[in-house]
Amino acid sequence: MTAETLATGRVRAPGRLPFGPRHLIVPIAVGAVLLALYAWVGTLELDSIEQRSLNRSVILAKAVEHLQMTVAATALVVVIAIPLGVLASRSRNRLVAPVILTAGNLGQAVPCIGLLVLCTFLMGVGFQTALVGLVAYAVLPVLRNTMVGVQQVDPALIEAARGMGMTRGQVLRRVELKLAVPAILAGLRTALVLTVGVATLGAFVAAGGYGELIINGLKLNRMPVTIVGGVLTACIAFLVDWLGGLAEDLLKPRGI
Amino acid sequence: MFDRDTDGVRIELRALTKHYPGQPAPAVDNITMDIPAGELVVFVGPSGCGKTTTMKMINRLVEPTSGEIRIGGKDVLSLDPDELRRHIGYAIQQVGLFPHQTVAQNIALVPKLLGWPQAKVDARVEELLALVSLEPSTFRDRYPRQLSGGQQQRVGVARALAADPPVMLMDEPFGATDPITREHLQNEFVRLQKQLRKTIIFVTHDFEEAIKLGDRIAVLREGSHIAQYDTPAAILSDPADDYVAGFIGQDATLKRLALVRVSDISIADPLPDLALPQVTAEASLREALDVMLAHGSDRCGTPSGVLTYAALCAAVGSRPEEAVSGGDVR
Repeated sequence: MTAETLATGRVRAPGRLPFGPRHLIVPIAVGAVLLALYAWVGTLELDSIEQRSLNRSVILAKAVEHLQMTVAATALVVVIAIPLGVLASRSRNRLVAPVILTAGNLGQAVPCIGLLVLCTFLMGVGFQTALVGLVAYAVLPVLRNTMVGVQQVDPALIEAARGMGMTRGQVLRRVELKLAVPAILAGLRTALVLTVGVATLGAFVAAGGYGELIINGLKLNRMPVTIVGGVLTACIAFLVDWLGGLAEDLLKPRGI
Repeated sequence: MFDRDTDGVRIELRALTKHYPGQPAPAVDNITMDIPAGELVVFVGPSGCGKTTTMKMINRLVEPTSGEIRIGGKDVLSLDPDELRRHIGYAIQQVGLFPHQTVAQNIALVPKLLGWPQAKVDARVEELLALVSLEPSTFRDRYPRQLSGGQQQRVGVARALAADPPVMLMDEPFGATDPITREHLQNEFVRLQKQLRKTIIFVTHDFEEAIKLGDRIAVLREGSHIAQYDTPAAILSDPADDYVAGFIGQDATLKRLALVRVSDISIADPLPDLALPQVTAEASLREALDVMLAHGSDRCGTPSGVLTYAALCAAVGSRPEEAVSGGDVR
Protein backbone atom coordinates (compact mmCIF):
# COMPACT_ATOMS: atom_id res chain seq x y z
CA MET A 1 0.00 0.00 0.00
CA THR A 2 2.68 2.44 1.09
CA ALA A 3 5.07 1.52 -1.68
CA GLU A 4 2.28 1.70 -4.21
CA THR A 5 1.07 5.14 -3.14
CA LEU A 6 4.60 6.48 -2.90
CA ALA A 7 5.35 5.26 -6.39
CA THR A 8 2.34 6.94 -7.93
CA GLY A 9 2.73 9.86 -5.58
CA ARG A 10 -0.92 10.19 -4.67
CA VAL A 11 -3.41 9.06 -2.06
CA ARG A 12 -6.96 8.01 -2.94
CA ALA A 13 -8.68 10.75 -4.89
CA PRO A 14 -11.18 12.65 -2.71
CA GLY A 15 -14.74 11.40 -2.96
CA ARG A 16 -13.94 8.12 -4.67
CA LEU A 17 -15.13 5.04 -2.86
CA PRO A 18 -12.61 2.25 -2.45
CA PHE A 19 -15.15 -0.21 -3.79
CA GLY A 20 -13.88 -3.16 -5.71
CA PRO A 21 -14.75 -6.77 -6.57
CA ARG A 22 -13.35 -8.01 -3.25
CA HIS A 23 -16.10 -6.10 -1.47
CA LEU A 24 -18.73 -8.21 -3.23
CA ILE A 25 -17.52 -11.59 -1.96
CA VAL A 26 -19.35 -11.48 1.39
CA PRO A 27 -22.79 -10.37 0.10
CA ILE A 28 -22.63 -12.93 -2.72
CA ALA A 29 -21.69 -15.73 -0.31
CA VAL A 30 -24.42 -14.74 2.14
CA GLY A 31 -26.94 -14.57 -0.71
CA ALA A 32 -25.94 -18.06 -1.81
CA VAL A 33 -26.33 -19.44 1.71
CA LEU A 34 -29.78 -17.83 2.05
CA LEU A 35 -30.89 -19.30 -1.28
CA ALA A 36 -29.65 -22.73 -0.29
CA LEU A 37 -31.49 -22.43 3.05
CA TYR A 38 -34.67 -21.41 1.26
CA ALA A 39 -34.40 -24.27 -1.19
CA TRP A 40 -33.72 -26.76 1.62
CA VAL A 41 -36.69 -25.61 3.72
CA GLY A 42 -38.82 -25.79 0.56
CA THR A 43 -38.08 -29.52 0.25
CA LEU A 44 -39.28 -30.23 3.82
CA GLU A 45 -42.79 -31.23 4.81
CA LEU A 46 -43.48 -28.61 7.53
CA ASP A 47 -45.98 -29.46 10.25
CA SER A 48 -48.23 -26.81 11.81
CA ILE A 49 -45.75 -26.00 14.62
CA GLU A 50 -42.95 -25.45 12.14
CA GLN A 51 -45.22 -23.44 9.86
CA ARG A 52 -46.03 -21.11 12.72
CA SER A 53 -42.32 -20.15 12.94
CA LEU A 54 -41.09 -20.59 9.39
CA ASN A 55 -43.16 -18.13 7.43
CA ARG A 56 -42.28 -14.83 5.85
CA SER A 57 -43.96 -12.50 8.35
CA VAL A 58 -42.39 -14.17 11.42
CA ILE A 59 -38.92 -14.31 9.90
CA LEU A 60 -39.11 -10.66 8.82
CA ALA A 61 -40.46 -9.56 12.20
CA LYS A 62 -37.70 -11.44 14.03
CA ALA A 63 -35.07 -9.94 11.70
CA VAL A 64 -36.34 -6.46 12.52
CA GLU A 65 -36.29 -7.21 16.27
CA HIS A 66 -32.80 -8.65 16.03
CA LEU A 67 -31.46 -5.67 14.11
CA GLN A 68 -33.21 -3.22 16.43
CA MET A 69 -31.48 -4.78 19.41
CA THR A 70 -28.11 -4.77 17.63
CA VAL A 71 -28.35 -1.19 16.41
CA ALA A 72 -29.69 0.21 19.67
CA ALA A 73 -27.05 -1.61 21.72
CA THR A 74 -24.25 -0.46 19.42
CA ALA A 75 -25.47 3.14 19.53
CA LEU A 76 -25.45 3.01 23.32
CA VAL A 77 -21.99 1.43 23.27
CA VAL A 78 -20.70 4.31 21.14
CA VAL A 79 -22.18 6.86 23.52
CA ILE A 80 -20.79 5.11 26.60
CA ALA A 81 -17.51 3.53 25.51
CA ILE A 82 -15.89 6.30 23.44
CA PRO A 83 -16.04 8.99 26.14
CA LEU A 84 -14.94 6.45 28.75
CA GLY A 85 -12.06 5.36 26.52
CA VAL A 86 -10.95 8.97 26.09
CA LEU A 87 -11.23 9.50 29.84
CA ALA A 88 -9.11 6.43 30.51
CA SER A 89 -6.49 7.55 27.97
CA ARG A 90 -5.76 10.88 29.72
CA SER A 91 -2.53 10.72 31.64
CA ARG A 92 -3.99 12.64 34.56
CA ASN A 93 -6.57 9.84 34.94
CA ARG A 94 -3.91 7.22 35.57
CA LEU A 95 -5.75 6.10 38.71
CA VAL A 96 -9.19 5.91 37.13
CA ALA A 97 -8.14 4.10 33.96
CA PRO A 98 -7.69 0.65 35.57
CA VAL A 99 -11.11 0.96 37.22
CA ILE A 100 -12.77 1.76 33.90
CA LEU A 101 -10.96 -1.06 32.14
CA THR A 102 -11.83 -3.52 34.89
CA ALA A 103 -15.49 -2.58 34.60
CA GLY A 104 -15.29 -3.17 30.85
CA ASN A 105 -13.55 -6.51 31.34
CA LEU A 106 -16.13 -7.52 33.91
CA GLY A 107 -18.95 -6.76 31.47
CA GLN A 108 -17.45 -9.21 29.03
CA ALA A 109 -16.36 -11.81 31.58
CA VAL A 110 -19.68 -12.16 33.41
CA PRO A 111 -21.85 -14.65 31.51
CA CYS A 112 -24.36 -12.61 29.58
CA ILE A 113 -27.20 -14.99 30.37
CA GLY A 114 -26.57 -14.54 34.12
CA LEU A 115 -26.55 -10.79 33.73
CA LEU A 116 -29.83 -10.95 31.84
CA VAL A 117 -31.43 -12.98 34.62
CA LEU A 118 -30.23 -10.44 37.21
CA CYS A 119 -31.56 -7.59 35.11
CA THR A 120 -34.90 -9.35 34.81
CA PHE A 121 -35.27 -9.23 38.60
CA LEU A 122 -34.60 -5.48 38.53
CA MET A 123 -36.29 -4.37 35.33
CA GLY A 124 -38.68 -7.14 34.30
CA VAL A 125 -38.53 -8.67 30.82
CA GLY A 126 -38.39 -6.91 27.47
CA PHE A 127 -36.29 -4.93 25.05
CA GLN A 128 -34.58 -2.67 27.65
CA THR A 129 -33.44 -5.63 29.74
CA ALA A 130 -31.86 -7.24 26.71
CA LEU A 131 -30.14 -3.95 25.87
CA VAL A 132 -28.45 -3.78 29.28
CA GLY A 133 -26.93 -7.20 28.79
CA LEU A 134 -25.83 -6.48 25.24
CA VAL A 135 -24.27 -3.14 26.09
CA ALA A 136 -22.38 -4.58 29.05
CA TYR A 137 -21.04 -7.28 26.78
CA ALA A 138 -20.03 -5.06 23.85
CA VAL A 139 -18.54 -2.06 25.67
CA LEU A 140 -15.07 -3.55 26.14
CA PRO A 141 -13.76 -3.70 22.54
CA VAL A 142 -14.77 -0.13 21.80
CA LEU A 143 -13.53 1.15 25.15
CA ARG A 144 -10.17 -0.55 24.86
CA ASN A 145 -9.64 0.41 21.21
CA THR A 146 -10.54 4.05 21.86
CA MET A 147 -8.10 4.16 24.75
CA VAL A 148 -5.27 2.50 22.82
CA GLY A 149 -6.06 4.46 19.66
CA VAL A 150 -5.78 7.78 21.46
CA GLN A 151 -2.72 6.76 23.47
CA GLN A 152 -0.76 5.58 20.44
CA VAL A 153 -0.85 9.02 18.79
CA ASP A 154 2.75 10.20 18.37
CA PRO A 155 3.60 12.51 21.33
CA ALA A 156 5.53 14.76 18.91
CA LEU A 157 2.25 15.51 17.12
CA ILE A 158 0.61 16.54 20.37
CA GLU A 159 3.59 18.68 21.31
CA ALA A 160 3.51 20.36 17.90
CA ALA A 161 -0.23 20.95 18.21
CA ARG A 162 0.07 22.41 21.71
CA GLY A 163 3.11 24.46 20.66
CA MET A 164 1.11 26.08 17.89
CA GLY A 165 -1.61 27.15 20.29
CA MET A 166 -4.30 24.49 20.00
CA THR A 167 -6.25 24.05 23.23
CA ARG A 168 -6.44 20.62 24.86
CA GLY A 169 -9.96 20.18 23.50
CA GLN A 170 -8.87 21.09 19.98
CA VAL A 171 -5.95 18.65 20.17
CA LEU A 172 -8.33 15.90 21.27
CA ARG A 173 -10.96 16.57 18.63
CA ARG A 174 -8.80 17.50 15.66
CA VAL A 175 -5.75 15.34 16.20
CA GLU A 176 -6.08 12.54 18.74
CA LEU A 177 -9.62 11.35 17.95
CA LYS A 178 -9.11 11.76 14.19
CA LEU A 179 -6.01 9.59 14.31
CA ALA A 180 -7.75 7.08 16.58
CA VAL A 181 -10.63 6.62 14.11
CA PRO A 182 -9.27 3.43 12.52
CA ALA A 183 -8.78 1.79 15.94
CA ILE A 184 -12.19 2.92 17.19
CA LEU A 185 -13.92 1.64 14.05
CA ALA A 186 -12.16 -1.71 14.37
CA GLY A 187 -13.43 -1.97 17.94
CA LEU A 188 -16.92 -1.01 16.86
CA ARG A 189 -16.91 -3.66 14.16
CA THR A 190 -15.96 -6.29 16.72
CA ALA A 191 -18.66 -5.01 19.07
CA LEU A 192 -21.28 -5.18 16.32
CA VAL A 193 -20.51 -8.79 15.47
CA LEU A 194 -20.48 -9.75 19.15
CA THR A 195 -23.84 -8.05 19.62
CA VAL A 196 -25.48 -9.87 16.73
CA GLY A 197 -24.48 -13.19 18.30
CA VAL A 198 -25.37 -12.33 21.86
CA ALA A 199 -28.69 -10.77 20.80
CA THR A 200 -30.00 -14.35 20.37
CA LEU A 201 -30.07 -14.44 24.19
CA GLY A 202 -32.64 -11.65 24.04
CA ALA A 203 -35.22 -14.38 23.44
CA PHE A 204 -34.81 -15.47 27.10
CA VAL A 205 -36.09 -12.08 28.27
CA ALA A 206 -38.86 -11.90 25.68
CA ALA A 207 -37.06 -9.34 23.53
CA GLY A 208 -37.56 -11.37 20.34
CA GLY A 209 -35.01 -11.77 17.60
CA TYR A 210 -33.76 -14.93 15.93
CA GLY A 211 -32.97 -16.35 19.34
CA GLU A 212 -36.67 -17.08 19.59
CA LEU A 213 -36.54 -19.40 16.56
CA ILE A 214 -33.51 -21.20 17.97
CA ILE A 215 -35.03 -21.67 21.43
CA ASN A 216 -38.48 -22.63 20.15
CA GLY A 217 -36.94 -25.17 17.81
CA LEU A 218 -35.00 -26.70 20.69
CA LYS A 219 -37.91 -26.71 23.12
CA LEU A 220 -40.37 -28.19 20.65
CA ASN A 221 -37.80 -30.50 19.09
CA ARG A 222 -38.14 -28.99 15.60
CA MET A 223 -34.64 -28.99 14.14
CA PRO A 224 -35.44 -27.03 10.93
CA VAL A 225 -36.64 -24.08 13.04
CA THR A 226 -33.44 -24.04 15.10
CA ILE A 227 -31.27 -24.35 12.01
CA VAL A 228 -33.06 -21.53 10.21
CA GLY A 229 -32.67 -19.29 13.27
CA GLY A 230 -28.98 -20.11 13.61
CA VAL A 231 -28.12 -19.70 9.94
CA LEU A 232 -30.00 -16.40 9.69
CA THR A 233 -28.18 -15.05 12.76
CA ALA A 234 -24.85 -16.03 11.24
CA CYS A 235 -25.82 -14.34 7.97
CA ILE A 236 -26.66 -11.13 9.79
CA ALA A 237 -23.33 -11.28 11.60
CA PHE A 238 -21.46 -11.65 8.30
CA LEU A 239 -23.37 -8.79 6.70
CA VAL A 240 -22.84 -6.52 9.69
CA ASP A 241 -19.12 -7.31 9.65
CA TRP A 242 -19.06 -6.54 5.94
CA LEU A 243 -20.77 -3.20 6.50
CA GLY A 244 -18.30 -2.46 9.31
CA GLY A 245 -15.42 -3.13 6.93
CA LEU A 246 -16.89 -0.77 4.35
CA ALA A 247 -17.35 1.89 7.01
CA GLU A 248 -13.72 1.49 8.07
CA ASP A 249 -12.49 2.04 4.53
CA LEU A 250 -14.84 4.96 4.06
CA LEU A 251 -14.41 6.84 7.32
CA LYS A 252 -10.67 6.33 7.83
CA PRO A 253 -9.00 9.76 7.52
CA ARG A 254 -7.12 10.08 4.25
CA GLY A 255 -3.38 10.37 4.47
CA ILE A 256 -2.86 7.76 7.19
CA MET B 1 -0.17 40.67 20.40
CA PHE B 2 3.42 41.92 20.87
CA ASP B 3 4.32 45.53 20.15
CA ARG B 4 6.69 45.37 17.22
CA ASP B 5 8.99 48.06 16.08
CA THR B 6 10.64 47.75 12.67
CA ASP B 7 13.21 45.26 13.97
CA GLY B 8 10.80 42.77 15.49
CA VAL B 9 10.59 42.14 19.21
CA ARG B 10 13.21 41.45 21.82
CA ILE B 11 13.05 38.65 24.35
CA GLU B 12 14.22 39.10 27.93
CA LEU B 13 14.73 36.23 30.36
CA ARG B 14 15.13 37.23 34.00
CA ALA B 15 16.30 34.76 36.66
CA LEU B 16 14.35 32.02 34.89
CA THR B 17 14.32 28.74 36.80
CA LYS B 18 12.67 25.38 36.30
CA HIS B 19 12.88 22.88 39.11
CA TYR B 20 11.02 19.63 38.44
CA PRO B 21 9.51 18.15 41.59
CA GLY B 22 11.53 15.25 42.97
CA GLN B 23 14.74 16.24 41.15
CA PRO B 24 17.80 17.18 43.23
CA ALA B 25 18.96 20.03 40.97
CA PRO B 26 16.99 22.47 38.83
CA ALA B 27 16.88 21.67 35.10
CA VAL B 28 17.26 25.36 34.36
CA ASP B 29 18.99 27.35 37.07
CA ASN B 30 18.52 31.09 37.17
CA ILE B 31 19.21 32.06 33.56
CA THR B 32 19.17 35.73 32.64
CA MET B 33 19.71 36.85 29.08
CA ASP B 34 18.57 39.30 26.42
CA ILE B 35 17.80 38.27 22.87
CA PRO B 36 17.96 41.34 20.65
CA ALA B 37 15.11 42.01 18.22
CA GLY B 38 15.55 40.46 14.79
CA GLU B 39 18.49 38.27 15.76
CA LEU B 40 18.89 34.54 15.59
CA VAL B 41 20.31 33.25 18.85
CA VAL B 42 21.46 29.64 19.02
CA PHE B 43 21.36 27.73 22.29
CA VAL B 44 24.07 25.12 22.02
CA GLY B 45 25.10 22.58 24.63
CA PRO B 46 25.22 18.86 25.35
CA SER B 47 22.07 16.74 25.70
CA GLY B 48 20.29 17.32 28.99
CA CYS B 49 21.88 20.72 29.66
CA GLY B 50 18.43 22.34 29.81
CA LYS B 51 18.53 24.21 26.50
CA THR B 52 15.25 22.76 25.25
CA THR B 53 13.58 23.32 28.63
CA THR B 54 14.71 26.95 28.55
CA MET B 55 13.24 27.36 25.09
CA LYS B 56 9.96 25.68 26.01
CA MET B 57 9.46 28.02 28.93
CA ILE B 58 9.28 30.90 26.45
CA ASN B 59 6.07 29.54 24.90
CA ARG B 60 5.08 28.00 28.21
CA LEU B 61 5.02 24.39 27.10
CA VAL B 62 7.02 24.18 30.31
CA GLU B 63 5.81 26.44 33.12
CA PRO B 64 8.71 28.19 34.89
CA THR B 65 9.14 27.61 38.62
CA SER B 66 10.24 31.22 39.06
CA GLY B 67 11.57 34.13 37.08
CA GLU B 68 10.27 36.39 34.39
CA ILE B 69 9.96 36.29 30.59
CA ARG B 70 9.24 39.35 28.51
CA ILE B 71 8.61 39.36 24.77
CA GLY B 72 8.47 42.81 23.23
CA GLY B 73 8.09 44.19 26.75
CA LYS B 74 5.02 42.04 27.54
CA ASP B 75 5.06 39.76 30.55
CA VAL B 76 4.54 36.32 29.01
CA LEU B 77 3.45 34.68 32.26
CA SER B 78 0.41 36.95 32.50
CA LEU B 79 -0.89 35.95 29.05
CA ASP B 80 -3.19 33.06 28.13
CA PRO B 81 -0.79 30.26 27.11
CA ASP B 82 -2.79 29.08 24.09
CA GLU B 83 -3.20 32.59 22.76
CA LEU B 84 0.50 33.28 23.41
CA ARG B 85 1.60 30.20 21.43
CA ARG B 86 -0.43 31.24 18.39
CA HIS B 87 1.86 34.27 18.14
CA ILE B 88 5.12 32.34 18.48
CA GLY B 89 6.34 30.14 15.63
CA TYR B 90 7.30 26.65 16.75
CA ALA B 91 9.26 24.05 14.81
CA ILE B 92 10.58 20.79 16.25
CA GLN B 93 12.97 18.06 15.17
CA GLN B 94 10.25 15.45 14.64
CA VAL B 95 8.42 18.09 12.52
CA GLY B 96 5.06 16.86 13.84
CA LEU B 97 3.06 17.36 10.64
CA PHE B 98 -0.46 16.00 11.05
CA PRO B 99 -0.61 12.90 8.84
CA HIS B 100 -4.36 13.19 8.26
CA GLN B 101 -4.13 16.71 6.89
CA THR B 102 -2.73 17.91 3.58
CA VAL B 103 0.31 20.16 3.39
CA ALA B 104 -1.97 23.16 2.87
CA GLN B 105 -4.14 22.24 5.89
CA ASN B 106 -1.05 21.79 8.04
CA ILE B 107 0.30 25.21 7.11
CA ALA B 108 -3.12 26.85 7.51
CA LEU B 109 -3.48 25.63 11.09
CA VAL B 110 -2.42 28.69 13.08
CA PRO B 111 -4.00 31.26 10.72
CA LYS B 112 -7.27 29.30 11.07
CA LEU B 113 -6.93 29.29 14.86
CA LEU B 114 -6.50 33.05 14.67
CA GLY B 115 -9.68 33.31 12.60
CA TRP B 116 -8.23 34.58 9.34
CA PRO B 117 -10.69 34.66 6.39
CA GLN B 118 -10.29 31.71 4.01
CA ALA B 119 -9.06 33.79 1.07
CA LYS B 120 -6.26 35.27 3.17
CA VAL B 121 -5.32 31.81 4.47
CA ASP B 122 -5.17 30.38 0.93
CA ALA B 123 -3.01 33.23 -0.30
CA ARG B 124 -0.68 32.82 2.68
CA VAL B 125 -0.29 29.08 2.06
CA GLU B 126 0.76 29.73 -1.55
CA GLU B 127 3.18 32.42 -0.46
CA LEU B 128 4.80 30.22 2.20
CA LEU B 129 5.17 27.17 -0.03
CA ALA B 130 6.94 29.35 -2.58
CA LEU B 131 9.09 30.82 0.21
CA VAL B 132 10.36 27.38 1.26
CA SER B 133 10.91 26.39 -2.40
CA LEU B 134 8.05 23.92 -2.75
CA GLU B 135 5.91 24.35 -5.87
CA PRO B 136 2.42 25.14 -4.45
CA SER B 137 0.42 23.42 -7.19
CA THR B 138 2.44 20.21 -6.72
CA PHE B 139 2.64 20.08 -2.96
CA ARG B 140 -0.48 21.82 -1.64
CA ASP B 141 -2.73 18.77 -1.69
CA ARG B 142 -0.17 16.12 -0.76
CA TYR B 143 -0.19 14.32 2.55
CA PRO B 144 2.92 14.40 4.75
CA ARG B 145 3.79 10.75 4.16
CA GLN B 146 4.11 11.52 0.46
CA LEU B 147 6.97 13.93 1.16
CA SER B 148 10.67 13.25 1.68
CA GLY B 149 12.25 14.10 5.05
CA GLY B 150 13.69 17.36 3.74
CA GLN B 151 10.36 18.39 2.22
CA GLN B 152 8.63 17.66 5.53
CA GLN B 153 11.11 19.89 7.36
CA ARG B 154 10.39 22.69 4.90
CA VAL B 155 6.66 22.34 5.45
CA GLY B 156 7.37 22.38 9.21
CA VAL B 157 9.23 25.68 8.86
CA ALA B 158 6.47 27.07 6.63
CA ARG B 159 3.88 26.05 9.22
CA ALA B 160 5.83 27.78 11.97
CA LEU B 161 5.99 30.95 9.84
CA ALA B 162 2.34 30.78 8.82
CA ALA B 163 0.84 33.56 10.94
CA ASP B 164 3.95 35.71 10.49
CA PRO B 165 4.92 35.55 14.17
CA PRO B 166 7.62 38.01 15.30
CA VAL B 167 9.23 35.31 17.43
CA MET B 168 10.18 31.77 16.43
CA LEU B 169 11.33 28.87 18.57
CA MET B 170 13.12 26.09 16.73
CA ASP B 171 14.26 22.88 18.40
CA GLU B 172 16.79 21.16 16.11
CA PRO B 173 14.45 21.62 13.15
CA PHE B 174 16.97 20.13 10.70
CA GLY B 175 18.25 17.45 13.05
CA ALA B 176 16.48 14.46 11.52
CA THR B 177 17.73 14.95 7.94
CA ASP B 178 20.79 13.55 6.17
CA PRO B 179 23.90 15.79 6.05
CA ILE B 180 23.43 16.93 2.46
CA THR B 181 19.78 17.86 2.94
CA ARG B 182 20.63 19.55 6.23
CA GLU B 183 23.34 21.67 4.60
CA HIS B 184 20.86 22.67 1.93
CA LEU B 185 18.11 23.52 4.43
CA GLN B 186 20.55 25.54 6.53
CA ASN B 187 21.65 27.60 3.52
CA GLU B 188 18.06 28.31 2.59
CA PHE B 189 17.22 29.18 6.15
CA VAL B 190 20.09 31.70 6.31
CA ARG B 191 18.74 33.28 3.13
CA LEU B 192 15.20 33.29 4.56
CA GLN B 193 16.20 34.88 7.85
CA LYS B 194 18.14 37.64 6.03
CA GLN B 195 14.82 38.49 4.42
CA LEU B 196 12.52 38.03 7.43
CA ARG B 197 14.59 39.29 10.38
CA LYS B 198 12.55 37.42 12.99
CA THR B 199 13.68 37.07 16.57
CA ILE B 200 14.59 33.39 16.64
CA ILE B 201 15.74 31.04 19.35
CA PHE B 202 17.32 28.01 17.77
CA VAL B 203 18.32 24.99 19.84
CA THR B 204 20.97 22.57 18.60
CA HIS B 205 23.82 20.42 19.87
CA ASP B 206 25.71 20.85 16.60
CA PHE B 207 28.27 23.63 16.99
CA GLU B 208 28.90 23.83 13.23
CA GLU B 209 25.20 24.54 12.74
CA ALA B 210 25.34 27.15 15.49
CA ILE B 211 28.22 29.00 13.77
CA LYS B 212 26.52 28.82 10.43
CA LEU B 213 23.12 30.12 11.49
CA GLY B 214 23.59 32.18 14.62
CA ASP B 215 23.90 35.94 14.91
CA ARG B 216 24.84 35.07 18.48
CA ILE B 217 25.54 31.81 20.22
CA ALA B 218 24.81 30.98 23.83
CA VAL B 219 26.99 28.06 24.88
CA LEU B 220 25.16 26.39 27.77
CA ARG B 221 26.38 23.98 30.39
CA GLU B 222 24.52 21.81 32.91
CA GLY B 223 21.50 23.60 34.43
CA SER B 224 21.34 25.98 31.45
CA HIS B 225 24.16 28.10 32.90
CA ILE B 226 25.57 30.39 30.23
CA ALA B 227 29.23 29.53 29.60
CA GLN B 228 29.57 32.18 26.91
CA TYR B 229 27.10 34.34 24.99
CA ASP B 230 28.59 36.19 22.04
CA THR B 231 28.87 36.35 18.27
CA PRO B 232 30.27 33.24 16.53
CA ALA B 233 33.47 35.08 15.54
CA ALA B 234 34.09 36.27 19.11
CA ILE B 235 33.49 32.82 20.59
CA LEU B 236 35.84 31.22 18.06
CA SER B 237 38.63 33.74 18.51
CA ASP B 238 38.30 34.08 22.26
CA PRO B 239 36.56 31.16 24.01
CA ALA B 240 35.70 32.00 27.62
CA ASP B 241 37.05 28.78 29.13
CA ASP B 242 38.07 25.20 28.46
CA TYR B 243 34.46 24.04 28.32
CA VAL B 244 33.71 26.40 25.43
CA ALA B 245 37.05 25.61 23.76
CA GLY B 246 36.22 21.91 24.03
CA PHE B 247 32.93 22.57 22.30
CA ILE B 248 34.61 24.41 19.44
CA GLY B 249 37.11 21.61 18.84
CA GLN B 250 40.64 21.82 17.46
CA ASP B 251 39.96 23.77 14.29
CA ALA B 252 38.70 27.08 15.68
CA THR B 253 40.72 29.12 13.18
CA LEU B 254 39.45 27.16 10.21
CA LYS B 255 35.90 27.66 11.51
CA ARG B 256 36.54 31.41 11.71
CA LEU B 257 37.77 31.41 8.11
CA ALA B 258 34.53 29.67 7.15
CA LEU B 259 32.55 32.61 8.58
CA VAL B 260 34.16 35.17 6.25
CA ARG B 261 33.38 35.46 2.56
CA VAL B 262 35.92 36.50 -0.05
CA SER B 263 33.77 39.53 -0.79
CA ASP B 264 33.92 40.58 2.87
CA ILE B 265 37.64 41.43 2.96
CA SER B 266 39.47 44.14 1.09
CA ILE B 267 42.01 42.82 -1.36
CA ALA B 268 45.40 44.52 -1.64
CA ASP B 269 46.15 43.57 -5.24
CA PRO B 270 43.03 44.49 -7.24
CA LEU B 271 44.21 43.10 -10.59
CA PRO B 272 42.51 39.81 -11.48
CA ASP B 273 45.07 37.16 -12.42
CA LEU B 274 43.43 34.42 -14.46
CA ALA B 275 46.56 32.25 -14.40
CA LEU B 276 45.93 31.48 -10.69
CA PRO B 277 43.32 29.01 -9.39
CA GLN B 278 40.03 30.89 -9.04
CA VAL B 279 37.38 31.18 -6.30
CA THR B 280 34.07 33.06 -6.44
CA ALA B 281 33.25 36.18 -4.41
CA GLU B 282 30.64 34.14 -2.52
CA ALA B 283 33.17 31.48 -1.43
CA SER B 284 34.36 31.49 2.18
CA LEU B 285 38.00 32.11 3.08
CA ARG B 286 38.13 28.49 4.20
CA GLU B 287 37.26 27.42 0.69
CA ALA B 288 39.89 29.82 -0.68
CA LEU B 289 42.48 28.24 1.63
CA ASP B 290 41.40 24.81 0.43
CA VAL B 291 42.01 25.89 -3.18
CA MET B 292 45.46 27.25 -2.27
CA LEU B 293 46.45 24.04 -0.48
CA ALA B 294 45.17 21.90 -3.34
CA HIS B 295 47.26 23.82 -5.87
CA GLY B 296 50.31 24.25 -3.63
CA SER B 297 50.06 28.00 -4.07
CA ASP B 298 50.01 30.84 -1.55
CA ARG B 299 47.59 32.89 -3.61
CA CYS B 300 44.41 32.49 -5.60
CA GLY B 301 42.41 34.61 -7.98
CA THR B 302 39.06 36.18 -7.13
CA PRO B 303 36.77 38.38 -9.24
CA SER B 304 38.07 41.42 -7.33
CA GLY B 305 41.78 40.65 -7.42
CA VAL B 306 44.41 38.30 -6.02
CA LEU B 307 43.87 36.84 -2.55
CA THR B 308 47.08 35.96 -0.73
CA TYR B 309 47.85 33.64 2.15
CA ALA B 310 48.96 36.71 4.12
CA ALA B 311 45.49 38.22 3.66
CA LEU B 312 43.95 35.05 5.14
CA CYS B 313 46.26 35.33 8.14
CA ALA B 314 45.34 38.99 8.53
CA ALA B 315 41.64 38.07 8.42
CA VAL B 316 42.04 35.86 11.50
CA GLY B 317 44.45 38.32 13.16
CA SER B 318 47.75 36.45 12.93
CA ARG B 319 50.97 37.30 11.08
CA PRO B 320 52.14 35.01 8.27
CA GLU B 321 55.81 35.03 9.45
CA GLU B 322 54.76 33.27 12.67
CA ALA B 323 52.41 30.88 11.01
CA VAL B 324 54.74 29.59 8.31
CA SER B 325 58.14 28.50 9.48
CA GLY B 326 60.72 28.32 6.70
CA GLY B 327 59.59 31.44 4.91
CA ASP B 328 58.42 31.20 1.34
CA VAL B 329 55.91 28.40 0.84
CA ARG B 330 56.35 28.34 -2.92
